Amino acid sequence: MSLVNAELFKVRTTSLWWIMAIVLVPLYAASVLLNWANSNISVPDDAAVSDTQTAQLEASLEPINVATNLYTSGQYMGVLIVLLLSAIIVTSEFFHLTATTTFLTTPRRESVILAKFGAAIVIGLIVWLFTTVLNLIVVPPIMSALDLSSQLGEPAVWRAIGLNALAFVLWAILGVGAGVLIRSQIAATLVLAITYVVGTSAIGLVFFLLSEYVAEWINNLQVLVPTSASQLMISGTDLPGTPPRWVGAVVLIGYAAVTGILGTWLTKRRDIS
Amino acid sequence: MSAPGTDEIVVEHLTKQYKKLRAVDDLSFKVRSGRVTGFLGPNGAGKTTTLRMLLGLVTPTAGTATFGSRKYTDLSDPVREVGAVLEASSAHRGRTGRNHLRMICRAAGLPDTRSDEVLEMVGLTPAANRKFKGYSLGMRQRLGIAAAMLGDPKVLILDEPANGLDPEGIRWMRDLLKALASQGRTVLVSSHLLGEMQLLADDVVIVAAGKLIRQGPVDEVLGDLSGGVQVRVRTPQAEELTAALSELNATVTPGADGSLVVHGVEAAAIGHAAFTARVELHELSTERGDLEQVFLQLTAGKAGIR
Repeated sequence: MSLVNAELFKVRTTSLWWIMAIVLVPLYAASVLLNWANSNISVPDDAAVSDTQTAQLEASLEPINVATNLYTSGQYMGVLIVLLLSAIIVTSEFFHLTATTTFLTTPRRESVILAKFGAAIVIGLIVWLFTTVLNLIVVPPIMSALDLSSQLGEPAVWRAIGLNALAFVLWAILGVGAGVLIRSQIAATLVLAITYVVGTSAIGLVFFLLSEYVAEWINNLQVLVPTSASQLMISGTDLPGTPPRWVGAVVLIGYAAVTGILGTWLTKRRDIS
Repeated sequence: MSAPGTDEIVVEHLTKQYKKLRAVDDLSFKVRSGRVTGFLGPNGAGKTTTLRMLLGLVTPTAGTATFGSRKYTDLSDPVREVGAVLEASSAHRGRTGRNHLRMICRAAGLPDTRSDEVLEMVGLTPAANRKFKGYSLGMRQRLGIAAAMLGDPKVLILDEPANGLDPEGIRWMRDLLKALASQGRTVLVSSHLLGEMQLLADDVVIVAAGKLIRQGPVDEVLGDLSGGVQVRVRTPQAEELTAALSELNATVTPGADGSLVVHGVEAAAIGHAAFTARVELHELSTERGDLEQVFLQLTAGKAGIR
């Protein structure tokens, strides 16, 4: 635990955390507004839309799914911040040449990496708590503006909030693993941010085209994309035409475990110079 | 022979092979406690690689480097047993000196108050709350030493600690390291600054091109290699003096600008011989063998850049 404490102390004693906090606030506000706007649309009565898509849209406009979506606002951007912070926890050791000091203080390198996982998870949960508390304050008025009840009595809402926490934790682990794999600070942050933001839509497009022109079942594989997996995990009810929620969790846990184990193994082997 | 304590550094057949470069080549030496040992070699001789292998940061290709018989990575409490200063610029630029030390305290389970104590010891208290990027190179070296002393270790390892220090700082460092050694600690200091080592070290380990060249007490290494003490004499009556000295079995060779260099007798004996032979002397000075000359002699032909 003292090592996790030391890792959190490292984050606290540089300016990085409040820069990330300043970035997070407007992004959070934007995502609440976006989710609000999305809840206002109606189902288009159009032949161009396939049956599955109509069904999905109808399902997503059910009060419970509007609620889970709104109560987990900020996940997309919050996770991005957590992902970058977690990677930087590792890469800054090499960027600022502090790896030597760190591994001299704690020569058992797996303990250091485990502590970094621990610290990243704590940070992930702090960001989750921050967005969740804000959501619980902001969303009920939005719900009533949409002529819906707050839905806070629904277990599905609380389950979505809980699974949202799990998503933050898993992305934090993924970030640390990615930071070990890509040791260059600039490369790691750029690669992660770009794949997270652009990559998701690009891969989404690829999957869309494949499912349109090759076979519809391919679309189900989209859950293998980490961002789709975490999106799936927090949906209120199982949406028609998508895999069950637990699949999303399994996929994310898989990524987190692979990067985590690979990262620890690499760190143990490498020469620090 | 009793088992070596953890405060003795034992390097045995240590080898590090990079893709094409054999940075350290079958290197063996020992470092004793209670003395300052200079680890000398030209740039690129493999000093830093050796120290990093000793500290578990780099994996050796072959051989071992241990404290007593234990590897650094097997020490139960490394911060309290070994302190190391490896590179002066190894702290986060945006973190204050005090927080850099506290970070280590937390990871090592030391009380935060230790950081203030070591800051005081190295004279950095006024700059404790300044960010690392505002530190001069000398201050960074001091912070490195402070970090190494946090756990009050029995063994201290410093890689080129004199780099970036002004003359006053170098003297401070010399006094500190000598004092620490006199308390019974083991002090290993790498350097390519030979003059400084001559003033600081009790023992030297000389390496070049990854191989051991010589090791032993400074006096011995110097004595053996430079033919011991020499005396420089200046006189208008060179021939008479040479004749007088040859009776004492001294060897006299002409030095630069008309002086004579005498081996085999001490200055007092030369002075006495000159007095009895009624030879006028203008200069009579003892010159100790210079580590720098020895070093160049020893490492000649083994270029630093490989």
